Amino acid sequence: MNIYEYPESQKLFTRAAKVIPGGIYGHFSPAPCVPVNAYPFFGSKAKGSHFWDVDGNEFIDYMCAYGPMILGYANPVVDEAYQAQMKLADSNTIASPKMVELAEFMVDLIPIADWAFFAKNGADVTNYAVMIARAATGRKKIIAIKGGYHGTSPWMQAAGHHGLIEDDHTNVIRIGWNDYAALEKVVDQYDGQIAGFIATPYHHPVFADNEMPAEGYWQKVQALLNKKGIVFIIDDVRCGFRLHMGGSNEHFGFKPDLIAFCKAIGNGYPVSSLVGTGALKSAAAKVFHTGSYWYSAGPMAAALACLKELKRINAPEVLRAYGTTLNEGIIRIAKSYGFTLKVTGDPGMAYYRLTGDETLMLQQDWCGECTRRGAYFTSHHNWFVSTAHTKEDLQRTWDICDDAFKAVQQKWNAGA
Amino acid sequence: MDSELLRARLNLNAVLQNLEELVKLDAEMAALSKSWDISIQFSVMSGPAAFVEFKHGVCKHGEGTHPSPVVRLLFTSPAHLNRMFAGKGMPIPLKGFTKLGFLQKDFAKLTQRLEHYLKPAAGTARDDVFVKTSTSLTLYTAAYAVKELAALEPTCKAVAAHTPNGGLQIGVQPEGPYVHLLYDKGAVTVGKGSLPHPTATMTFKDMPSAHGLLSGKLDAFQAVAEGSVMLYGMIPLIDNTSLILDRVEQYLA
Repeated sequence: MNIYEYPESQKLFTRAAKVIPGGIYGHFSPAPCVPVNAYPFFGSKAKGSHFWDVDGNEFIDYMCAYGPMILGYANPVVDEAYQAQMKLADSNTIASPKMVELAEFMVDLIPIADWAFFAKNGADVTNYAVMIARAATGRKKIIAIKGGYHGTSPWMQAAGHHGLIEDDHTNVIRIGWNDYAALEKVVDQYDGQIAGFIATPYHHPVFADNEMPAEGYWQKVQALLNKKGIVFIIDDVRCGFRLHMGGSNEHFGFKPDLIAFCKAIGNGYPVSSLVGTGALKSAAAKVFHTGSYWYSAGPMAAALACLKELKRINAPEVLRAYGTTLNEGIIRIAKSYGFTLKVTGDPGMAYYRLTGDETLMLQQDWCGECTRRGAYFTSHHNWFVSTAHTKEDLQRTWDICDDAFKAVQQKWNAGA
Repeated sequence: MDSELLRARLNLNAVLQNLEELVKLDAEMAALSKSWDISIQFSVMSGPAAFVEFKHGVCKHGEGTHPSPVVRLLFTSPAHLNRMFAGKGMPIPLKGFTKLGFLQKDFAKLTQRLEHYLKPAAGTARDDVFVKTSTSLTLYTAAYAVKELAALEPTCKAVAAHTPNGGLQIGVQPEGPYVHLLYDKGAVTVGKGSLPHPTATMTFKDMPSAHGLLSGKLDAFQAVAEGSVMLYGMIPLIDNTSLILDRVEQYLA
């Protein structure tokens, strides 16, 4: 099997590092890609479920741009809607009718939604949700889950990260996932001070197994928050429209007050959304929150087309079916080489870990070997599949996994 | 947090311990100290203490008190000790008055050489020997400082508290040095040498790469992407240690 090398990516990175802090920053940074020489840094083109790097290497993509490419790259339905809108207007001096159409569609699609608000990134709307919670309740404190991620705003980053001050965390209380007793305890301890509770629909941290909600967890959480007048915020940025078209809460059977969406909403076009209940509409209207490109109509047209297409094809079921088949195959191949692959999270966006090695070194070696052979796997983050992944992709991925397991087995048997 | 206390512990436990390595790495200092037979106690009144002992050309550093030091130096406060380490204060000798000349002359040469490697003056010639010695001592200082910061500095305590348990090995290819940090429920212990089964490793490709990163001349993210620094294993151990390491300079500058 051909083993990829990345000389052009490396050259481009050297240029990038001269003019861009860190060369490539944020979640695209090569730093968590281990071993780093197994990974390309720069892509040249993408189509369907594949992308090509600047060295001409082709990859079956299991990160989907870290989630957004739910229908695959260059989806004709979404791209045509975007192009049609761009011929009319994108950024304009006044708002686009597309914003109203998109809001109406989302209010019809999402059971808890009585209104929708649009921005660009996930953090735009998680921040907005927290501001609304504070505006609506007149309280300061926010409860969040340890290891939960809601963007890079100072209030949600872990202590010690650069650019933060101690005050950033003064009003954020972190509790463990699935720990209802801890929630009860802090709600009681800070009675009358808690504005909101924010969490993802299930726990999907990096470098760790993903965890589903315990039986009855969300229902108890909802009851307690409602009783105490605490705004219930679900960050559905990563899972949104992958688990259920009505919001991931519908998949788990509960009703939050606010839901933040991004990633899959526009199939790669930059748009995010916060939807909420009627009870919070007035507070939402009072909070001033905006941005230079938040009214661009092109991405809104793309989102409208994307959501309609996802609904038409019942995307959550398509993704779950592909993910389940993919995972069963990889688990079987792993077993044939004496490895146990643990798959956690929803099958269409699962986290994978080879057991028996708590250091993740084995996992890193295997993901690196797969990537070098053309299946782009990360070892630190959950993967994503798209509705564009094909049966041919599936077989090719299994073949790659097989060859990679063989290489890893040889390395580890030799005493890595 | 008492910043002076933290600085005092850093000086005693992260900086002073480098004398062990200095007399191994620097030929001139090895020759200077090879016949020394002396133990020196540094004690802050109602505060931290450490000692160095020289015998048969070997230097041994220890936290706490030496059972029978030849020289005993007292400091009235952490700030007093820190002034001495900055070259602006004098200790109160309680024992070993006949050795004061040694302290001011011979021992001072050793500490001045240590400063030469840890805080090189502008224009210092950076040949291979200097780079190796300076980098090794800086690496040891940084690792031992992590332990102190994780115990005393509020933000670093918080970082250590949410760092996974396990051992991080930091080293330079091909010959070392290696240091390791062991995290256990937020408490950090430090040691020299490699680990048999590290949870994570941070390995510098060569000494110039290590020197560039530890002296702040090389960007860490760039170094990782270009392969000058290789990461492996439980990356949060490395990430969190980096957050603590980045605060060392704030207290030891």
